[in-house]
Amino acid sequence: MIKRADVVVVGGGVIGCSVAYYLAKKGVRVIVVEKKEGLSLGASGANQGGCPLQLFKSPVLELARESLKLYKNLAEEIECDIEYENVGSLVCSVDEKQYPDMKKHFQDKRREGINVRLIEGHQLRKLEPTLGEDIIVGVEEWDSYMVNPFKVNYGFAYAARKLGTEFLFSSQVKKIERDKERIASVITDREKIKTNFLVNAAGAWASEIGKMLGLTIPVRARRGQIMVTEPVPLNKRWRYILDADYLTTAFDLAAVEDSKEARIKLGVAGSYIQEKSGNWTIGSSRDFAGYNNRVTMQTLKYMAKRAIKFVPKLKDISCIRTFAGLRPFCYGDGLPILSKIKSPQNFVIATGHAGEGMTLAPITGKLIAELITESGTSLSIDAFSFSRFKNIN
Amino acid sequence: MKKKVNNTICRCEEISEQEIRDAIRKFNLRTVDAVKRLTRAGMGLCQGRTCTPLLTKIIAEETDKKVDELLPLSKRPPVRPVKVEFLAREGEQKLD
Repeated sequence: MIKRADVVVVGGGVIGCSVAYYLAKKGVRVIVVEKKEGLSLGASGANQGGCPLQLFKSPVLELARESLKLYKNLAEEIECDIEYENVGSLVCSVDEKQYPDMKKHFQDKRREGINVRLIEGHQLRKLEPTLGEDIIVGVEEWDSYMVNPFKVNYGFAYAARKLGTEFLFSSQVKKIERDKERIASVITDREKIKTNFLVNAAGAWASEIGKMLGLTIPVRARRGQIMVTEPVPLNKRWRYILDADYLTTAFDLAAVEDSKEARIKLGVAGSYIQEKSGNWTIGSSRDFAGYNNRVTMQTLKYMAKRAIKFVPKLKDISCIRTFAGLRPFCYGDGLPILSKIKSPQNFVIATGHAGEGMTLAPITGKLIAELITESGTSLSIDAFSFSRFKNIN
Repeated sequence: MKKKVNNTICRCEEISEQEIRDAIRKFNLRTVDAVKRLTRAGMGLCQGRTCTPLLTKIIAEETDKKVDELLPLSKRPPVRPVKVEFLAREGEQKLD
């Protein structure tokens, strides 16, 4: 069967659905192709839904700021309660040696215009008695948010579908047909789709789509494991608590690979989030295990141990579920790739968001829609251009 | 307009049959996993041990499929709730 679209989006994760929605809003006829049986079955469905502002550095910080602005009215816009909630964030350290780093983090964030506050350990425990004795210092801010990732992903799809977007499930891209410098059609195991543009939002699988066009997209699946606890009464002040190690393990690949510590090698640095329902999610780890998305006892052990240091009461709370997701990590430089390319001219890449896809989904969708339909984007995306990898292509 | 149905399907998370049917229709859900993720049914302490058969039946009805045509709910460890402290000690003591 032959179908026709203005734009084919590969990937039914939060990025693909956001791109589809913002395109559909501009009247573009979109077909989303997803190899699995439903949406949100990669990284979008295996994360904690945290959108933290103080973790980002420029140039991603500018994206995050704009994305959080878009999130503000998103529920109303897409007619779906995405459970957007201002929870702030607290990055804290249990290591005396990290004190200068924390101070520097605080100063850097202040310079970037984020309203941060440095708080000593004893003061932290006064404000939030559930914090551990080992915590020496923390940095808080109140511009971070939390969303329900499934609702965001399915909400974008719901709104896109209402605007005419078609979703094809259990449909895997097998071949991309070219007509000289352009893509002419996408062939899946079920159909052929003639299209004017192809957006690669395949996340951890984006490199496989690249291969079909002879391109090396430097993105690899980085596994992240998460555990969920039973619901308990809500914390008084902070429900989004991060281990200062997060600042290095999530963003600095060399620091992880060069470390001698087993925990760091597995990328374990905590992000502890208490959902409105009272459940805690304990994340996360970061390792490369191909497309294996299973949890491992060893990693869960390090995660649980570390969690108890920061929030000791977690030790007596039951873990009811664990899972892992595969995040698209750009091993080139850790930054997302939001870009058209030279050839084929109508191929667009929107991936490499690693652990920040949920935060960056709205702005990514908006910018990619602009990239396709307008002469420029409302925010510079030069830093995320594919041309930065010309040495490998 | 169809009559509202208020049977509780997931007792752990207190999710009604109506909420489940509404979510299936609104979001075009086709699998037990998707229904679980959007409604929280099956996300509670028993991890869907009680409500999965009921959920499956509702999805089958809504999507005009047979129950055995639907994908089963994906199983996520642990099999039953375990204290976080126990996970922290795994490997340092015997499991029994």
